[in-house]
Amino acid sequence: MDTTLSSYTWCQFAPEFALVAVAVIILLADSFLPQIPKRIYALVGAAGAFVITCLMARGEYANWFGFLACAATTLTLLLAYDYRKITCESIAGSENEDGTAEFYALPLIACAGICCLGQAKDLVMLFVSLEVITLSSYVLAGYFRRNQGSIEAGVKYLILGAMSTGLLVFGAAWYFGTTGSFDLDPLMAHTALSHGYLSTGFLMATALLLAGALFKVGAAPMHMWIPDVYQGAPTPTSNFLAIASKAAGFAALCLLLRPFRPFAEAYPGTVSILVHSLSIVAAATLLIGNLGAIGQHNAKRLLGYSSIGQAGFILIFFVNLGGDIEPYVFNYLLAYALATAAAFFAIAMLRTQRGSEEISAFRGLGKTNPRTAFLITVSFASLAGVPLTMGFLAKYYSFCALIQAMGSWNGLLWLLPVMIVCAAAGFYYYFKVLRAMYWEKPLESDKPLRVPAVTAAVLTACSIVIILMGTYPLLFS
Amino acid sequence: MTPLAHYLIFSGILFSIGLAGVIIRKNIIVVFMCLEMMLSAANISLVAFSRAQGVNGIPMYDAQVLALFIVAIAAAEVAIGLALIVAMFRARKSVESSALNTLKD
Repeated sequence: MDTTLSSYTWCQFAPEFALVAVAVIILLADSFLPQIPKRIYALVGAAGAFVITCLMARGEYANWFGFLACAATTLTLLLAYDYRKITCESIAGSENEDGTAEFYALPLIACAGICCLGQAKDLVMLFVSLEVITLSSYVLAGYFRRNQGSIEAGVKYLILGAMSTGLLVFGAAWYFGTTGSFDLDPLMAHTALSHGYLSTGFLMATALLLAGALFKVGAAPMHMWIPDVYQGAPTPTSNFLAIASKAAGFAALCLLLRPFRPFAEAYPGTVSILVHSLSIVAAATLLIGNLGAIGQHNAKRLLGYSSIGQAGFILIFFVNLGGDIEPYVFNYLLAYALATAAAFFAIAMLRTQRGSEEISAFRGLGKTNPRTAFLITVSFASLAGVPLTMGFLAKYYSFCALIQAMGSWNGLLWLLPVMIVCAAAGFYYYFKVLRAMYWEKPLESDKPLRVPAVTAAVLTACSIVIILMGTYPLLFS
Repeated sequence: MTPLAHYLIFSGILFSIGLAGVIIRKNIIVVFMCLEMMLSAANISLVAFSRAQGVNGIPMYDAQVLALFIVAIAAAEVAIGLALIVAMFRARKSVESSALNTLKD
């Protein structure tokens, strides 16, 4: 009997070890070298994560989801560096930096979990790496212990996250019971599918496993935590959850659906129940995310609903189960990550200087800081899917995937109007931010924002990539 | 020997009680205990399946390895969870889920 553990080598996890090593060095330095200012650790961590990002882009350690996670961690740590004033106030209640170093080390550990997830081949690895991510995220979400919102976000995330873990492991037990292995291999599904339909036990296992992964991406009906946690958690954490943790969820979803893909290609009929369930989840996610966002006033909460809506568009790629999934999911996630990170940097800057996270805090930026306002406009336009931005192409591929799926399975046509309505709703709520920037007058007391160097660099870089990839998509392929 | 089905029904009942508790109960500590019950239910299923899938009386150890991982991770989760609950009690003077009411639409 082949054991699942032997199919991994130690060397293939070198980047993950490096990430954890950086995190451990930060923690040790925090304990033994108290004279070093803690904000240095954010930059050290960001530098480490950036090196690993380059390592994951191509070559021996190429790992798409790992690449995305490391890039997101770099951005998160840079954001945490610019956000340090609020971090210190919310932890020590003063300018004192004591007790903030873990805030810079934990994203690295979670990131190592996501990179492992990108290489997982079986459920044991998938479960352990998902837990590495969620356990670090609980701490990060509840880190601001003097802030009511952060504690509430932490507890809510903990309860709902632990529940999804319970569903996932119960599903894993039944997957083992019905297939006799934890391997996520088409051979395993073959035993369960040999009668031309899915057996009840295997179906239950799949449903529970998918519920666990769908919780991470925030798909309906497991989306409840997203708006609350994004709003309450520290802004760098919200950024991490919105980008890296979401990428982890989609990596898990790709893995869990891998056993079915050969069947979807060859015999679409056998997995039609899976495709139709996914299409219902995708439609519900799209509607809840996009229609829920319309009434929001808090910018972080708006991005929470927006992330649910965008997850709906990504789920459409999974409805087209027989087609190419990973490249398009990666492309969409990259477009979403760049625009969302830029938006969170803008929100963090407003929180630090204007003391508010409401959409109204964007008022008059078009007059006071025209260049920054333009960069923010690019990122929100990309989220909405304006042509010539990366977000437009990503959404376009999502529509293409649905049309392709309609060729293999009947009864998916109703998704098309849902997607069109949701894409249109996106224009309304993302443009609320733009309206606040250009149509609302700044208050008398509003001074122009001082844009920190890191924020300026990140906003510029994100905008350039969004526009380049939107106008010339083959550039980095 | 007790048939596999008995273990599975027992673990299913335990899992359902846990899930129902998470949804119904208001006290966060009780909710947390129910979450641990869900994980234990999965462990029972895993060990039962590992016995049932075994050949010649030797169980398939893969499932028991996952069960050990689940125990370890559940312990880590409890450490983090109780810390968060203590922080919540300090901030709100309550561990009822109705006290979680600052974040809403």
